[in-house]
Amino acid sequence: MKSALPRLILIVGLLAGVDALQRARGETGTPVALAAGGLLLAALFAGKVATFLHLPRLTGYLLVGVGVGPYALGFIPKEGITGLALISGIAVSLIALSAGTELRLELLQRVGAKVTRMCLLVAMVVFAICLVAVVAVAPWLEFMADMTLGQKVAAAAVISSVLVSFSPTVGIAVVEEMGARGPFTDFLMAFIILGDLVVLVLFAASVSMARAAFGGAFSLSEVMLTISWELFGSVLVGALLGLILLVYLERVGKEVVVFIIGLCFALAEGGGRLHLSPLLMSLAAGGLLANLSEKSAAVLHTAIQRAGLPVFALFFAAAGAGLHLDTVMKVGPYAVLLALLRAGTLYYTSRRFAPNDEPEVKKLLWLGLISQAGVSFGLASIVERTFPEFGAGAATLLIAIITLHELVGPLMVRKALLSAGEATVSADAPRTAAAH
Amino acid sequence: MQALLLFLTVAALSVLASSPLLMRVGRAFGLAQLSASGLLFFVFGVAVGPLAMGVLDAAQVEALRPLIAIGLTVVGVLTGFNVEPRLLRSLPWRLYAAVVTQGATSLVVVAAGLFAVFYLTGALDGMVAALGAAALFGAVASVSSPHVGILGMRSGRLERREGLGLTLVAMLDDLWGLLALMAALALASAVSIPDGFGLLALAALLGLVCGLLLLFLTRAASNEEEVATLLLGAVMLVGGAAAYLRISTLVAGVVCGATLSVLGRQAAASHYKVLAKIERPVYLLLLFLAGPLFHPQTVWVWFVLPLFVVLRFVAKVAGGGLASRVGGGVIPPKTGWALVSQGGLSVCLVIEFLLLVPGPTSQLIFDVALLAALINEVLGARAFAIGFPPPARSMAPPAPEAN
Repeated sequence: MKSALPRLILIVGLLAGVDALQRARGETGTPVALAAGGLLLAALFAGKVATFLHLPRLTGYLLVGVGVGPYALGFIPKEGITGLALISGIAVSLIALSAGTELRLELLQRVGAKVTRMCLLVAMVVFAICLVAVVAVAPWLEFMADMTLGQKVAAAAVISSVLVSFSPTVGIAVVEEMGARGPFTDFLMAFIILGDLVVLVLFAASVSMARAAFGGAFSLSEVMLTISWELFGSVLVGALLGLILLVYLERVGKEVVVFIIGLCFALAEGGGRLHLSPLLMSLAAGGLLANLSEKSAAVLHTAIQRAGLPVFALFFAAAGAGLHLDTVMKVGPYAVLLALLRAGTLYYTSRRFAPNDEPEVKKLLWLGLISQAGVSFGLASIVERTFPEFGAGAATLLIAIITLHELVGPLMVRKALLSAGEATVSADAPRTAAAH
Repeated sequence: MQALLLFLTVAALSVLASSPLLMRVGRAFGLAQLSASGLLFFVFGVAVGPLAMGVLDAAQVEALRPLIAIGLTVVGVLTGFNVEPRLLRSLPWRLYAAVVTQGATSLVVVAAGLFAVFYLTGALDGMVAALGAAALFGAVASVSSPHVGILGMRSGRLERREGLGLTLVAMLDDLWGLLALMAALALASAVSIPDGFGLLALAALLGLVCGLLLLFLTRAASNEEEVATLLLGAVMLVGGAAAYLRISTLVAGVVCGATLSVLGRQAAASHYKVLAKIERPVYLLLLFLAGPLFHPQTVWVWFVLPLFVVLRFVAKVAGGGLASRVGGGVIPPKTGWALVSQGGLSVCLVIEFLLLVPGPTSQLIFDVALLAALINEVLGARAFAIGFPPPARSMAPPAPEAN
């Protein structure tokens, strides 16, 4: 702290100076490299300050991004953050690839059935409660006020399906940071990964129904095809890439970091274009690798540790800088209300549906499910693009809620892991790259 | 998808360019130098750019600017690292005299020759434009690749003293190029000359502040990976800030590197080592990114190009001989034959000028200088082989590969 705080202040001071000079000069060039360099340096030291304050480093990354980003102090322009989208894609794939190496068959056999049952129940109840709540507040929401009841329900279903989503990236990153190992961590990881699949199905179904409610055509076969392609296609393509990765690691084994960054780039760019989930693809690739060769999985893990420090710090700082604080202000009361309702429902359903032989899960799982981040933001932007009738308003509300969850989420995950007593590494001695 | 395809292709080219098999095949056909020069990357950049296939349109080329800024900064910081006051103080004054003679000969011969052509033919509008363009061509001509001296030593063609002397000459040549770029930017990048100098001072100040900041930041670093990350962040910060303010990224980078070198002492060596690892990939990437910017709009490019190459070759060979005499033998008489390769900095100089002062004259300078850099890379290896033949005891010494 003693050494990190003055350094952080100096970096922020330099960014303020550059911003002042730019205003004085008037002429503007591209701000992307400035955003990348400024956020990376600031995030590294903000992470250290956060550690001193017993917060996750991730929170430090996020908060410093919020601070210097376009919606607070404005030292980093909005165009700079937009230009870092590629880094986000690579980071998500790296995190998921690393998490995939933990998905061993033995773990899936042990907790798979319990997690599946609980995840489905929790998701359904959260979805239903949120749907009722959104319909209830619809008269006060400008973008829903003039809709028919059927349309209100359809729009609420779309919004609620996004609210069900969890954040695998934040969850996995905090677990990695704290070196958490144990039955509770296994359950949490499996839950948020499976939750991602459930949300994809729920979201696709809700969107199709909403299309029909707003005058579009509804085709069940099309819905099924879309979902199947996204789920099974992602797993298949991911498994194929996992095999390629395995061959590379065993036969070539050189420049592993460069190869993995390239692979993650391909996953992020290609996945998006082919309507596949980069997260699922990376998980599948990592999972296959871990189950076929433990040695290669260890090499992969080490390489991600080496590559991860700059990528993760920059990813979360950029995510923080992109958080729309102005949107939170605009729809604040409704966003807070829905966020509290979601948290309450997660608390209740976790206690109600958790297996009786898992007392830690019963008590603490809901804390690990609060956070929302990249996947949720992605879904919100799809809503905005897909529904000209209400998409913009719905996205504003969703972004405000997700912003709140992204800021609070890492703290909750950390609290859950500490309370479960499964954090093996103290905050001062991070175990993996995500933790730096 | 375009970005993905490009990335994969650049990655494939990187692998090919460093493949020993390809180098062996290339050598058999006398193409090794061409491949090592990075021509492949430049040609690929041109091919995907708006001029040829149009895979990258103007907007996408614009979106690649941050990468160019970072690349220029890396080159600048590495150049700045070469500023070692203790070493510079220890050099004999005769070497400085030789350097000045050699650099000035290239600058004057090329600038005067091209000025005469521009002025007499009216290729450029007005005497000032002709003078400015000729001066910048002269500056680009004076820069040489420092790698030839080192590789010559390693291959046994140069004695240690000769090799070091040559390397120092080439490194000090960079100063000529940078000074000329600074003068050109001061004259052309702002509404008035004082403003232009003000912007250069701002770039230098930015480099100084970032250098000092980086020194302070790395003092708290706990391991090598953290140092590398901090360096990466600082390079992006200094280059990004300069690009954002539309001032010289190269100058800011050089001052940042010089600050680290002068004040960093032992830490500077490890910082240099980290950045030196990415020097070659960055150069190749810059060549690729320069490709889409290549846009020969006039036939003058094809007329000026051979003239520039010939004038520079003559000036280097003659200037080297003159410099050897002025220096009293501190460098070999055939020094000029080893300085034909232009090196990466010359490419950076013209990229920087084109980005900060866009216009037809800058475009002409860019197009010619870039092509000339690639031709001189090939020519340089042949010239070196003629000027410094392999020692008799060695059966088949490897050819030096500049840059």
